[in-house]
Amino acid sequence: MLPHARVMAWFCGCALCLSSFASRADDVQDAPQDAPQDERAVAYFETHIRPLLARHCYQCHSERAGEREGDLLLDRRSGWLAGGESGASVIPGDVDGSLLIRAVKYEDPDLEMPPSQPLKAAEIEHLEQWVRMGAPGPSDGQVVVVDDPSDPVAGKKHWAFQPLQNATVPEVDDQAWPRTTIDRYVLAGLEQAGLRPVEDASPRELARRLSFQLNGLPPTAYMLDELEATVDDPTDWEHQVEQQVNQLLAAPQFGQRWGRHWLDLARYADSNGLDENFLFREAWRYRNWVIDAINADLRFDRFLTEQLAGDLLPFDSIEQRDSQRIAAGFLVVGPKVLLGVPLEQQRMDVADEHIDTLGRAILGQTLGCARCHDHKFDPVPTADYYALAGIFTSTRVMENRHMLNQQRLMEQLVGLGEAGSEKDDAYEAYWRKQPDLKKRKGPAEQILKSLEENELQKFARLLEKDAEAVAELAKDETKAIEERIAAQRALLAEVKESLAHPLPIPPRAMVPSEVEEPADEAIRLAGQYDALGDKVPRGFLTVLSDNSSPEIAQDASGRLALAQWLTNAESRSGQLAARVLANRIWQHLMGRGLVRTVDNFGRTGEPSSHPELLDYLARRLIDSGWSIKQLVREIATSRTFGLSSRYVADSYAHDPDNQLLWRAHRRRLEPEAIRDAMLVAAGGLDLTQYESTVDYLGDQATAVGANKVRRRTDFPCRSVYLPVIRNDLPEIFEAFDFTNPHTSTGARPKTIVPTQGLFMLNDEFVMATAESTARRILAESPTDNTAAQVELMFALVCGDAPTQNESTAVIDYLQHTQASLTEDGMEEPEVRTWTLACHALFASSRFQFVQ
Amino acid sequence: MLQNSACGFGQVALSALLASQSPTFASEVSPQPLAPKRPHFAPRFKRIIFLFMWGGPSHVDFFDPKPLLNQREGQSLAGSSVGVEKKDLGKLLGSPFRFAQHGEGGVWMSELFPNLSQQADKLCVIRSLHTEGSAHGEALLRLHTGQANLVRPSVGAWASYGLGSENDNLPAFITISPPRGHGGVQNYGSAFLPAIHQGTAIGSAEIPIKQARVSHVGNARIDHARQRDQLDLVQTLNRQHLQRAGEDQSLEGLIANYELAFRMQSTIPQVMNLDDETQETLGLYGIGAEPTENFGRQCLLARKFAEAGVRYIQVSTDYTWDHHKQVQSGSIAEAAKVDVPIAGLLTDLGRRGLLEDTLVLWGAEFGRTPTVENGDGRNHHPQGFTMWMAGGGVQGGLTYGATDEFGYRPVENPVHMHDLHATLLYGLGLDHERLTYRHAGRDFRLTDVHGRVVSELWA
Repeated sequence: MLPHARVMAWFCGCALCLSSFASRADDVQDAPQDAPQDERAVAYFETHIRPLLARHCYQCHSERAGEREGDLLLDRRSGWLAGGESGASVIPGDVDGSLLIRAVKYEDPDLEMPPSQPLKAAEIEHLEQWVRMGAPGPSDGQVVVVDDPSDPVAGKKHWAFQPLQNATVPEVDDQAWPRTTIDRYVLAGLEQAGLRPVEDASPRELARRLSFQLNGLPPTAYMLDELEATVDDPTDWEHQVEQQVNQLLAAPQFGQRWGRHWLDLARYADSNGLDENFLFREAWRYRNWVIDAINADLRFDRFLTEQLAGDLLPFDSIEQRDSQRIAAGFLVVGPKVLLGVPLEQQRMDVADEHIDTLGRAILGQTLGCARCHDHKFDPVPTADYYALAGIFTSTRVMENRHMLNQQRLMEQLVGLGEAGSEKDDAYEAYWRKQPDLKKRKGPAEQILKSLEENELQKFARLLEKDAEAVAELAKDETKAIEERIAAQRALLAEVKESLAHPLPIPPRAMVPSEVEEPADEAIRLAGQYDALGDKVPRGFLTVLSDNSSPEIAQDASGRLALAQWLTNAESRSGQLAARVLANRIWQHLMGRGLVRTVDNFGRTGEPSSHPELLDYLARRLIDSGWSIKQLVREIATSRTFGLSSRYVADSYAHDPDNQLLWRAHRRRLEPEAIRDAMLVAAGGLDLTQYESTVDYLGDQATAVGANKVRRRTDFPCRSVYLPVIRNDLPEIFEAFDFTNPHTSTGARPKTIVPTQGLFMLNDEFVMATAESTARRILAESPTDNTAAQVELMFALVCGDAPTQNESTAVIDYLQHTQASLTEDGMEEPEVRTWTLACHALFASSRFQFVQ
Repeated sequence: MLQNSACGFGQVALSALLASQSPTFASEVSPQPLAPKRPHFAPRFKRIIFLFMWGGPSHVDFFDPKPLLNQREGQSLAGSSVGVEKKDLGKLLGSPFRFAQHGEGGVWMSELFPNLSQQADKLCVIRSLHTEGSAHGEALLRLHTGQANLVRPSVGAWASYGLGSENDNLPAFITISPPRGHGGVQNYGSAFLPAIHQGTAIGSAEIPIKQARVSHVGNARIDHARQRDQLDLVQTLNRQHLQRAGEDQSLEGLIANYELAFRMQSTIPQVMNLDDETQETLGLYGIGAEPTENFGRQCLLARKFAEAGVRYIQVSTDYTWDHHKQVQSGSIAEAAKVDVPIAGLLTDLGRRGLLEDTLVLWGAEFGRTPTVENGDGRNHHPQGFTMWMAGGGVQGGLTYGATDEFGYRPVENPVHMHDLHATLLYGLGLDHERLTYRHAGRDFRLTDVHGRVVSELWA
């Protein structure tokens, strides 16, 4: 029995998922009559044996897996009693005589089970004890039931896969507090828990919060004044807040901030990362497309469609065509292992990266888990994974291109503009033949010389060696020598001319396309690229599909249908996408998602703290025509958004995590906001849109070996335009928890580590910016009034006035520092003193946190 | 002096973890992420020094003698003779170097390491390593993180996460002159583990270590006293802010972290300062002489960090071991740079009593082919190659595993890269199956679903 037919190669990048097989105690029926039937035996089977069998044996010996290796089934008592080709597997009570025990003990080299790896000693002991107990199990005819979390039919019950609920807006006791529907949902939750929201944030706190959350910048003095002026009249105040929110929404800085949120999900970068960090020279076009689209409030359903299939959409103009193509760069900017991987494996890895990104970014699902086996927690069978894989392997994102002196399989580029593809072809053709031209130049010169000097023997020798360096006419001995010389001269001139004027890079963008013959993909057994199983028709997740799901045409990859499936607001898939997006918008404004695991709406994620509110927001999103700006407006003008972040002991004791939103979350600024706000204080931030900030780099994006050119960070632009070189991020990004641009990320880590302190204390950019701020303060405020100067410093750096204590501390510092610097004979002691003070304020929590 | 000074990472980062976990939720929420943690079982050693030969030394020229290569030099290696489908693997290239057995254990080494060979009885040579990745980038990522197409924490980050730091004022993972290419920072990154576990880089591979600095440690504009005074202002403002805010762990964390940063900034240069080392010690590492100056300094720094309680220290050469051409002269040149320093490191660790609880690991992302390339070079070879260990209680003088008669692939006791990782963790007292971190809905580990502990390396 049990031949070594199939080695279980668990190759799944998915640690420990094997150990999590769930089992249910209530599935076992009465034990068969011939077994000692007592509760203890059943409990023993349930606790120790069933999970073990499920984990180690059913892959090859169960009806469910459709496998019956060695004609043995271990999913029923009759199976292990009858055994397989080698005879009875288990003889109740006879440990030594049971083949199963011999197999798991690896006693017989021809019979070692499980074949990949022996069981642990404790597991073997459990099996022995079980045999001693008479090998109890389900009654005759009953199959051992193992929960199948990947079952998409049962999986529909999971909350995230349910259609949106239209709950009635809850009643609240305090009718006066809520300003919006959102507030009613939040207040209802608080009241139920016996909690009260804290007071509203001060106008300055709110201004800073609004300005950073919507535009990623500190508030302007004008905004502060406007808000402060109306705080006493509730009606004016509401109106004023709405006014300010509208202005922030309309500013181009909104897209620079909110576009970045999407770029985190799109794992946007200007280089490949991973094994070979080649430059993505054209990625910036995609970045700017995203920023522009967010500013234009492009409907999110359309936005998504262009991300996934922009290259397939109809267009009215070249500009529209190019814009849509650039949008689809979403599929091309992912990281890829470029060298040394079998092509077929690379193809599957690239598709995997797409599926993983799609799953996390749009559906909040960990689909990558289903590459090697049915998902262990969520209703995603492997077949669904490969249904999606077929869509992506029918999409081309790589092409052979000239780079670093050779043809390489790189990200696919497409020429932009009127004759874009011709220009791109010409450019590529030039570089393909350029090495050849280089090789021809020397021989062509020698040949010319031999003709000119009339050394025909030498000419003949050279002709034999380098025929391709000789002009056709020059070869013709019947022609006059002058004619032959002229022809050779012309050829040489042409070669030289071509070498002297290499074609410039034409405008192009990272764009996917359909492969010539779209095809379904076969399941890969255990995820191995070369172990083919059954083919699966291209399609979508079963758990989110129904009759309304679009069909995929045979000659199409299915990307367009995929986009339709994801954005159909009437379907479960579209509604899940809306929930995921609404939760992200909430998260970015409030500091945390209602579902805190923003990229994981599966069973291992957290459920929503306010399920009805989440569905309300998702519904609002859809009803507004998928307008991100409208949902931002609704949340940002709510009273909940405008709460203070004050600590209240009682509420804290009851809800320390602030799940119920009794106050606002205090937040650390992101690295982009830290840098931009420092530059604003110094008066040196350029708010305009930048194009490429990597165009000076060679094809190697990292300074490595002979290549000494490294990405620059000294642009005065907004941080969103700084180079995002994978594995070589700007230092401030690295220190302050920028996203890892290799992976789609909805929630950046939020760490507080000493490297951040070291950065703030010692970074040259921070100090230089502090100096500019200091000079600005000294120039703009009366030098005889230190208190006024300190006020200006706080206004510039923190958008706030100093407290009395703060002012005292700073003035004291300024005085003793300037005295000591003067005493030491330092140049410009006043500037130095103020530089140190501004630097200190940048380093303080006052600057780095939003209340 | 440096170990266990008062108040450290402890208060730090209560918040570091708590705050960091809002998206991912650690499987183990510890208020002190770098506080020493109890291992799963009694460790064999406390720390690791990994000497990384970037590019891949030729195992058949250093540790794995194959007379057949010399006998059949120039003849084709048929795939069938090493169990490979491909028909012709290229022409065999013999090794010009004399091999001899050294020490009581009879470890085979070529003449390229004359100094190291005198300490052969400290070495436990594993001749049956194998991995995936026939290009450097993939192989480096697998060597350092166990994975290539997904971003995963590096071995040192796992060690830091599993055990914390023995020194309050130093990170638990330091990488000296790390490569910028072939995965770059990913090779010492913490990926989804809390950022505190990421390796702290000193310089990078192409920079002479003498010029290397830890970035943002030290300030050219202001002196220590004035910076302390400035920090006092920062902390006053922070404390006032905290007072107004009431309970706030992230503000508390920020305050504690500034103090830690300030202490680290004094401690790191202190450890990196070689002024207190005797001439004899400097000479032992080959410092002050070429071609050993640079690697000697790197090795001495490694000793100093080991002494100071750093958990995982990596030392990398520049990208100089990739001998596609002239493997003979290349091996001679590279060996000359590292032989004395490595021998010196083993001697120095030994006489300071550090070798007992420090594992020294030597190796690279892969070995080199037994066949020739470009006339006199060898290509990449992940299918079978050699690494060695010393110290940490491993059996000195032991030769473990074997490749076939061509040095092509392991035929006895194969040790996959995952097995090596499992073994390193085992030595640190960590069960590679239990050292997990919950991320994106499931538990991850260094060895994924693989890994066999090679416990035979210990007596």
